[in-house]
Amino acid sequence: MSRSSLSRRVRSWGRRQLYSLFSSIGTLVSHKLATLMTVLVLGIAMALPLGLFVAVENLRAVDLRQGDWGSITVFLTAEAGEVGAQALAAAAASKGGASLRLISPEEGMEEFTLASGFGQAADIFAENPLPWVAVLSPAAGGDLQIDAWVSDWEAWLAGREGIDLVQIDHKWVQRLAGFLALGNAMITVLTVLFSLAVIVVVANTIRLDVANRTEEIEVMSMVGASNDFIRQPFLYSGFWYGLLGAVLALVLLSAAMLYLQGPLERLLEAYGNQYSLKGLGMRRGGVALLLGALLGFAGAWLAVQRHLRLLAHGRRIGR
Amino acid sequence: MITFEHVSKRYPGGATALQGVDFSLGAGEMAFVTGHSGAGKSTLLRLILMIERASRGQVLVNGRNLSKTPMNQAPQVRRRIGMIFQDHKLLSDKSVFDNVALPLLIAGMRYTDIRKRVRAALDKVGLLDKERAWPLALSGGEQQRVGIARAIVAMPPILLADEPTGNLDPDLSRDLFGLFRQVNAQGVTVLIASHDLSLIREMGQRVLVLSGGRLIDDIPAGITGARRA
Repeated sequence: MSRSSLSRRVRSWGRRQLYSLFSSIGTLVSHKLATLMTVLVLGIAMALPLGLFVAVENLRAVDLRQGDWGSITVFLTAEAGEVGAQALAAAAASKGGASLRLISPEEGMEEFTLASGFGQAADIFAENPLPWVAVLSPAAGGDLQIDAWVSDWEAWLAGREGIDLVQIDHKWVQRLAGFLALGNAMITVLTVLFSLAVIVVVANTIRLDVANRTEEIEVMSMVGASNDFIRQPFLYSGFWYGLLGAVLALVLLSAAMLYLQGPLERLLEAYGNQYSLKGLGMRRGGVALLLGALLGFAGAWLAVQRHLRLLAHGRRIGR
Repeated sequence: MITFEHVSKRYPGGATALQGVDFSLGAGEMAFVTGHSGAGKSTLLRLILMIERASRGQVLVNGRNLSKTPMNQAPQVRRRIGMIFQDHKLLSDKSVFDNVALPLLIAGMRYTDIRKRVRAALDKVGLLDKERAWPLALSGGEQQRVGIARAIVAMPPILLADEPTGNLDPDLSRDLFGLFRQVNAQGVTVLIASHDLSLIREMGQRVLVLSGGRLIDDIPAGITGARRA
């Protein structure tokens, strides 16, 4: 085969693709209401797992910000006093991997009066009853496993003198990690379920579309259209359904976040925190769009595969 | 151009539509196939279009043995045949222009060429002013002429028609047959299935007569027309 004939074939293939593309868009546009409803169903179906994903991602971000949830609070004995506290700080510094903050009894009392609102608390006691306290938290910048870090320091502290009580706050972290793991598992389950739903919805829509256009398919087949040519507009339709559904899902998600942002800010403010919700981001949004389009395509492919076989080669023509 | 060799067609379930049919239609020839309903006219056309396959014997079209052609090559076979249906089979949600353009779109032709060819075909059937119209807004005769434009737009060497005048009054039918003769005059092989006997006689073309799936008569051109005169 000569090169020019090959390039001619490629060009006519390209023109056929273009035709299929535009004819699929034309079909969607000419049935606005039906298209809208399908896209709405798809958008909602895709918004649910995406929404949960965003929620879990935000919780994870909260976790990272709260470094002190993984902290160890060490109460020194009264006898150890400032000397013991400084010795502990020096030893911890030489071990490394943690930042240590010392709280003197005076600072402790100040913090207590401020936090509790018992302004005269200090006056009740003849002498400050609070011990020296050391707060150990993971050194910044490390990508560390909180559990391992905590048990490491717990063991180290157990071997030291002058310590009254070691309080570990990482149960919180463990629980949060548990919730996050559960959230992740639920995302997986929801993603699988709703992906199936998207495929089924698109497949059913395309199946109806094929059934409605039986006549057109017959005519096309009679004037020499190959099965591929007949199939393509439907596959493109599925692609558009999926893509538009994903776009709508992202829009719904953004709207929901906008709506939740205010109340959430007020809630966190009450906890003395500031936080602004994070969306999916460009890259993940792009992945969501691509995934939606692919699911739509897959649904259309399934429907067309099954349905066009029944119509293959115009077996119903002229009957 | 079209050759049937001992062709039989038996449908699943036992109905025999054609039995030992033998004939040959040369390039540029024009012929009618006639016979009562159920005589096998439609089956004969369906075999040429590869909608059905012969149970026995061989069908040769455009130099290709259809019995040995795999089904996935049916589109190539059909692209070289223009087919006209009794009920036009126009797509009602597409304009006349788009209907006629369909075979060219399938071939992947450039849009500027498509435009030229479609307008030439519409001009030939006298409907150039209707290219933007919708098929349902046209009369039955006009719709059938759109069907003819679609069948000839890709310039196939063979034109088939299945009862093209089935729903038309005699005058319109006569016009339509005249149109077929013009197409034939340009070298296209034309085969028309019709039971409109008086009109067929008028045309004076070769006539193949089917009865009960057998070819019972093959009247050469000139005789029928002469008989009328």
